[in-house]
Amino acid sequence: MNTLQVDRIVKNYGEKRAVNSLSFEVSPGEIYGLLGANGAGKTTTMRMILGLILPDEGNIRYLGKPYSQEQLSMLGYLPEERGMYPKIKVSDQILYLAQLRGMSRKDADANLKRWLEKFQVPEYYNKKVEELSKGNQQKIQFIAAVIHNPKIVILDEAFSGLDPVNVELLKSTVKELRDGGTSIVFSTHRMEHVEELCRNITIMHKSNPVLQGPIKEIKKRFPQERVIVASEGKIEGLDAIPGVDKVIVHEHGGYELKVSSPDAGQRILQHAMAQGPVTKFEIKEPTLNEIFIKTVGESHE
Amino acid sequence: MNNSLWTVMSFTMRNKLRSKSFIIMTAVLAVLLIIGGNLPYLIDKLGGGGGQASKVGFAQGEQAQIVDGLAKYYAALPEPDVELVAYPSEAELKNALENGDVKGYLTFSEDAVGAGGFPKVTYNSKSAFEGGTASSLTAALQQAKTESILKDSSLTDEQKAQLFAPVAFETQKVSFTNEEGKTEEEQGMAVALTYIMIIMLFMAVMITGQLIATEITAEKSSRVMEIIVTSVSPLKQMWGKILGTFVVAILQIAILIAALVANLTLPHNSDILKSFGINLSDIDPLLLVFAIFFYLAGFFLYATLFAAIGSIVSRTEDLGQAVMPITLLTLVGFYIAIFGLNQPDSNLMLVCQFIPFFSPFIMFLRIGVAEPAVWEIALSVGILIASILAIGWLSAKIYRVGVLMYGKRPSVKEIVKAMKAYKV
Repeated sequence: MNTLQVDRIVKNYGEKRAVNSLSFEVSPGEIYGLLGANGAGKTTTMRMILGLILPDEGNIRYLGKPYSQEQLSMLGYLPEERGMYPKIKVSDQILYLAQLRGMSRKDADANLKRWLEKFQVPEYYNKKVEELSKGNQQKIQFIAAVIHNPKIVILDEAFSGLDPVNVELLKSTVKELRDGGTSIVFSTHRMEHVEELCRNITIMHKSNPVLQGPIKEIKKRFPQERVIVASEGKIEGLDAIPGVDKVIVHEHGGYELKVSSPDAGQRILQHAMAQGPVTKFEIKEPTLNEIFIKTVGESHE
Repeated sequence: MNNSLWTVMSFTMRNKLRSKSFIIMTAVLAVLLIIGGNLPYLIDKLGGGGGQASKVGFAQGEQAQIVDGLAKYYAALPEPDVELVAYPSEAELKNALENGDVKGYLTFSEDAVGAGGFPKVTYNSKSAFEGGTASSLTAALQQAKTESILKDSSLTDEQKAQLFAPVAFETQKVSFTNEEGKTEEEQGMAVALTYIMIIMLFMAVMITGQLIATEITAEKSSRVMEIIVTSVSPLKQMWGKILGTFVVAILQIAILIAALVANLTLPHNSDILKSFGINLSDIDPLLLVFAIFFYLAGFFLYATLFAAIGSIVSRTEDLGQAVMPITLLTLVGFYIAIFGLNQPDSNLMLVCQFIPFFSPFIMFLRIGVAEPAVWEIALSVGILIASILAIGWLSAKIYRVGVLMYGKRPSVKEIVKAMKAYKV
């Protein structure tokens, strides 16, 4: 059974519809990407999953059960706007949050020490949060979201504001959580993270889910429009090949071509090989970034 | 899961009790109260009433009859507060005053005042505010004068003694609810207790209320609120916070009262208090019950309001402005009560005793110093409890939506809209 089932949820704020008939499911050990421009309805969706607000229509099920106070302990949340008690010791506030989610103080303490070891910062146990750097506060915040071993974790812009080293650290931690069977709802604007982590995604635009499904299939739906070709010498007459719309000459050798049909790629390769040895040939699939901009941009019109 | 309510409470209490500001404030107040508790003793010691009499000089030989009368008067007192010292001349008196040998000296002018032929007496001292010594001298002179006149009359000693004996006078408040009226001592204790209670309630509301509001706003502005509201229901969080702060406030008050009472009941203090007619056992236990009830009621009424206000403000800087209406409400209640101590039966009091935001102050005051009818008390308490429930309910709703609203302070319309949207 899927850990999290969202079934045609609708939410209105007065006249304005914030989320319109959104459905998706997250299975154990899956990271689900929730994408969308600012104001697309992501936060509202996450708040509904967290039970902060109730959907007007549709329902959300956690391991097949509807929302209740008991579900709270299986949810973990890393909000986009980070915040801890600045003047309270790390251990005090993490243990407090863990206790609020139904954990015993002793278990929480053991967990916290394990997590601090994992992030190689055991000395923070007795530090106040305001004494830590931004990046380290983020780590503490992350621990706060997962300290109680939740089955469903909601990460809103989990890696923003971190340096590349810490991004990798947190990313590998998220992957470990996934491999441990946790269901993760992941929201971000950084498409490369989504491509790396998520199996299925939903792109929301103006309250509507406009694109949903496995990333692989979504990419197949979008035409492969770019071809990269390079040889040691010049390649003449590329723009005369049928199906080639545009040729961009790169500064350091090589050509990037925009094509209108997939089979143009094979013609380009043959054309190039006739003129000499080819050092590089690639038919590029569209990046998620392009798909996102295209989807959201098109719906704008 | 009442567990989480307890978790919020204990977290609130732990942080409060550990905070430096709380410890310092409690310690400072306790020291002040310990000093205050020993004040009767200290005044007694420093005021020179018991131990040392102030020396007052007079010129030898001048108005010997009056000086004799004075000396006789002070000799008869068990603890005279004036000691008469003779000097040969007025010039030397002045010298003695300058050197600090005497506190002041008496001079007499011959022009008689009134028919008795009694001279005008002047008390010369370094300061014009020698109230204690001057009034003591006045009483002594009055007696000396009376005696000098009576000496020539045909009254017997017994009649004289009767003449000087003080009249027996006592005020008694008539009570209609109790069988017996309150004695003057009980009445005095009631007024004192009322006064203390009004000030304590005012301080509790102002300090703890602000504290609750500030903490909630701080949680909001530091965004830790988002995690907390996803872990525990807002209602439990709000009540956990209010109750936690309340327990800490009670603990603080208990420490302070213990410090004060412990010092007041020390033998050297309680004797002096008794000599003023103050006895702690004169406090009516029923009045104490009312004090506790109105204290609790007033606290929760205002605390829930402060919590609601705290929840709709996003930044601590904006909080002061937002809580202004409640602060004013408390101030008005407080000042009406202070005014009402002298006129507990004025029309203003009769109206305000039923207004929920004022009634914790006013109704208690009237119970303490006046005799409100039973129906008045019942109605006032009923209105108060009903409004605590109503305001608690409304505050919880505002809190529920308020904690998730960021940006500028929402208007009433926006809050109502949000309540509908969140289905609370």
